[in-house]
Amino acid sequence: MPGDGAGQDLGGQPRGVALVTGAAQGLGHATALRLAADGFAVAVNDIADDGRLTELASRIGGIAVPADISEPAAGPAIVEAVASRLGPVQVLVANAAAMAMSPFLESKPDDWWHQINVNLSGHFRLIQAVIPGMRARGHGRIVIISSGWGVIGHPNATAYAASKAGLIALTKGLGRELGPQGILTNAIAPSFIDTEQLRVDADDAGITLEEMRQRYREQVPIRQLASPDDIAAAVAFLAGPGSGAVIGQVLQPNGGVTRTRA
Amino acid sequence: MTPGATDGPVAVITGAASGIGASCAGLMRQSGWRTAGIDLNPSDTDLSAQADVSDRAAVTDVVDQAALRFGQIDLLVSAAGYYEESIDVADVTLAQWDRMLAVILGGTVNCCAAVLPHMLRRGEGTIVAISSELALGGSATDLHYVAAKGAVLGFVKSLAMEVAETAIRVNAVAPGPTDTPLLAADSLWRKPDYLATLPLGRLVTPKEIAHAVYYLATEGSMYCGEVLSPNAGAVI
Repeated sequence: MPGDGAGQDLGGQPRGVALVTGAAQGLGHATALRLAADGFAVAVNDIADDGRLTELASRIGGIAVPADISEPAAGPAIVEAVASRLGPVQVLVANAAAMAMSPFLESKPDDWWHQINVNLSGHFRLIQAVIPGMRARGHGRIVIISSGWGVIGHPNATAYAASKAGLIALTKGLGRELGPQGILTNAIAPSFIDTEQLRVDADDAGITLEEMRQRYREQVPIRQLASPDDIAAAVAFLAGPGSGAVIGQVLQPNGGVTRTRA
Repeated sequence: MTPGATDGPVAVITGAASGIGASCAGLMRQSGWRTAGIDLNPSDTDLSAQADVSDRAAVTDVVDQAALRFGQIDLLVSAAGYYEESIDVADVTLAQWDRMLAVILGGTVNCCAAVLPHMLRRGEGTIVAISSELALGGSATDLHYVAAKGAVLGFVKSLAMEVAETAIRVNAVAPGPTDTPLLAADSLWRKPDYLATLPLGRLVTPKEIAHAVYYLATEGSMYCGEVLSPNAGAVI
């Protein structure tokens, strides 16, 4: 029963303002739709607007705030733009990510820093920018999209895994530091999700999309890929009224990938 | 007494007469589920059965009755348990140890064994076992309780793998110290000195545990052997 709010004390009230980064496609896109369905006013961010961001914003009655979060000035500017047009950010979904795969010894320093700058430092600055508003209201939710690879690592993805593991440590530290102020920080560690990225992966591997899906399924104990909606539902839970005692946790809706070999 | 639904998914909830179990039963009914409660005491459920979860035959009988009456079992919430606080390990008697293991671990195993044939027949279902945050972090003076709750986690992870390729999902919820009758009025977990160590500075409410169970039951199909811990920051 996604999005029906069953079992939650919605009271028919608007739920506040949510900001989702990396929302042009995939799970960021699904998350924006879900949070809007759950009653949030949603601001959507991605590195640039090629039309998809504006289209999403207009579909959900929200706003588009395109910007490259790896730019130091972007975080405060995004948060200020959202505050002036929708109101202060009550829920931040830190989802935008860069990934470049290569064997460790062949990894270029620029690729390393780009992934750290977007995934980790970009969200560090964005979080710093949203905290004053959350603190003033004594309420806020920060949902950080980490990765199964941030939990168990992955060959040829050391920078990405390090950035995502860094986000888990950030989650735990912020959980402890901000919890007493009513700001709850948690993370989600998905693994294989059926998004547009699979087409890219399939092309890289020279196989069909369905063959790619099957290859990934075999790495998941439950033999299923997550849908973007599955991850959006986890975000909705962490952003919603039912998760008020969940703090500093890492939710792992990944079919068992991170605990065991498939 | 809430009026029960006449269709909708079906939950079997142990420990349904009080605390976390009762809160789960209340939330599921409010959300249109039909409920069967197993408890030593009567519960506010559509099928209230008084039985001891450590009795495999009794549990199986109730579960089979529920399946017959409702036609299906979608969810098992294994919440039955009790707590004995502040006993040094050397003072835990063999009888206390055996009883704790029989109720908390044995009760969970019995209920899973009873519902699984019904779930396997349909190829789907959700099992949520209530463990404890203490099983993640350890606790100095309630070792038999913590050992039993920890064993539940090992059981959940293994059963989750055993049925992984079906659409049956097995997971645990590990509550932090929760405001239920399990915690005596003078419990250490209610003392301001302890609560001040929690990032949230308060006990967890039974309703917050029910919401975690509800989430796993309705949108948790990608969780396999996971432990969701609404614990107010007790274990991060």
